[in-house]
Amino acid sequence: MLRRLRAPHGALALPAWVFLLTFFVAPVALVVWYSFGEKPGLFGTHSNEVLSFARYAEAADATFLATFWNTLRIAVLGTLICLVVALPFAYWVAVKVPARWRGLLIALVLVPFWTNFLVRTLGWQIALSPEGPASSALQALGLRDGPLQVLYTRGAVQLGVVYNYLPLMVLPCYVALERTTSSLREASRDLGAGRWRTLTSVTLPLAFPGIAAGCLLVFVPLMGDYVTATVLGGAKGNMVGQLVASQFQTAQNWALGSAMAVLLVAFIAGTVLVAAVVALLVRGAVRRARRVDLPAPAGEPSVLAGAGARS
Amino acid sequence: MTAVDEGTRTRRAAPAAGARRRRRSTSTALLGLWGALVLVFLFLPIAVIVVYSFNTGRLLTSWQGFGFSAYAAGLDRPVIRTAIATSVQAAVGAALLSAVIGSLAGLALARRGGRWAGLLTLLLGLTLVTPEIMDAISLLGWFVSLDSDAGLSLFGNGLARLVIAHSVLSTAVVTFIVRARVAGTDSALEEAAADLYATPWARFRTVTLPLAAPGVLAGGLMAFTLSLDNTIVASFVQLPGGTPWPVYILSALRAALRPEIAAVSTLMFLLTLGSLAVVAVVLRRSGDSATDIARTLTGGG
Repeated sequence: MLRRLRAPHGALALPAWVFLLTFFVAPVALVVWYSFGEKPGLFGTHSNEVLSFARYAEAADATFLATFWNTLRIAVLGTLICLVVALPFAYWVAVKVPARWRGLLIALVLVPFWTNFLVRTLGWQIALSPEGPASSALQALGLRDGPLQVLYTRGAVQLGVVYNYLPLMVLPCYVALERTTSSLREASRDLGAGRWRTLTSVTLPLAFPGIAAGCLLVFVPLMGDYVTATVLGGAKGNMVGQLVASQFQTAQNWALGSAMAVLLVAFIAGTVLVAAVVALLVRGAVRRARRVDLPAPAGEPSVLAGAGARS
Repeated sequence: MTAVDEGTRTRRAAPAAGARRRRRSTSTALLGLWGALVLVFLFLPIAVIVVYSFNTGRLLTSWQGFGFSAYAAGLDRPVIRTAIATSVQAAVGAALLSAVIGSLAGLALARRGGRWAGLLTLLLGLTLVTPEIMDAISLLGWFVSLDSDAGLSLFGNGLARLVIAHSVLSTAVVTFIVRARVAGTDSALEEAAADLYATPWARFRTVTLPLAAPGVLAGGLMAFTLSLDNTIVASFVQLPGGTPWPVYILSALRAALRPEIAAVSTLMFLLTLGSLAVVAVVLRRSGDSATDIARTLTGGG
């Protein structure tokens, strides 16, 4: 009976397997393969006649490292700013706003998220341009003498990426905070904890998985993004993604571009892994420090031993 | 705790309660102010685009006057009309393809489809977190080799390339939505149908599919909007003559931007808004809370 039910269910995943192996795994493997090759002469894009690590050495030159450093700075700073902006907002929606308004507010966060990010970035380009609304308003108020010179600076890029990835931080934080029911916060107050203590010892630890997911969802795509930086930063907003794209679209050196892309992805994976390990260690340390050992009353040792092991 | 302590606490608590309530309302007000500011921030550039779509000037960034000339000019240009048509065709194709593949995978995962389920989940998760530039260059190389080296002319078709590329990005979204929806239902329903001598096909059609339908529809519509917005991957895999709308904007950035861009973007924005509204209504009617919908719309996480 059960066997008969399960067998077709496994087969249902077959199209997905075939599709992903053909159009995700195989293409990425091809890029890794290209990265060991070279550019054969002026008109070819790639050749794997001679295999070497030479493209990786070529990729990791001074320009690349400088751009890489710039990308990392923008991504880390962007993730932190998103967290600082999103967390109070998510807390407000999940805890302070009446339940019937929450759906509307979350829908309002989602609408910008689902509109084209290039168009939204273009909106910032208009808003920040020297002849744009922000500039004329500041001049009209007498706060600035000349036109606003924000566009095509690193600040504009930072603003653009924070804007573009903010919903990806808000939503997981909101989902996590919404699950921390008010009864737990009330229990914490009843047990004598102040508001600050309740926030740091009950609410935030419970929201930790959401915060971690948000940081991941913002940091990873941000490291690969380059369109935001091109639109708002011009030549100053160079990101690693831009270097990879120009190897494919302008220089026609697919081997070098592939090596750069592999380096980028490897670095992102490494960073996420390190961050995950650090986060788990910190959480473990905090839990050990805050661990509450209940004194075992006589008669029921087994039950409490079980409870202790679980906490 | 001694009686003296108890007494001091009560005496101190009485006058402090008012102050505490005042402090609490201040912090709530501050949080509310912050919330309003964040919402304004989120909508500011969209409002700017919508407002500037009514700019009658020749350049997008310098405001001349209010009018609908940009809409007329935008819809009149064949290049823009072709770009919109390409975008919509690719989006419909990607929505259908990823809805079929993703729904089947979602059903399989929801009912613990074999020992490979964990690996498939991991693979789908990887497609969600891989930087788009990696997807872009890898699919470009792959399509070019399939087309010219293996002689499969399908992959020399620009629309087919766009549909496949966009489906790679959205299959995971559909899968996770359908999985979440079906996992919430009882597999006993299907077992009951089997006990009542329903054939596997009848069981699938009359029990499983109706259960999964809201998820399939929501997932398909989200794949549609994802495809409509895709810029980076599309700019790599597209072929001449088949440029989708966002890639047209990207190439227009190199020249001076004209108000038509804002006008057509506003229209596309309405299309996205419409399909999102349908998603919300479908999920709402099938009994999801706002939180469930939010989780669904972030990719089913």
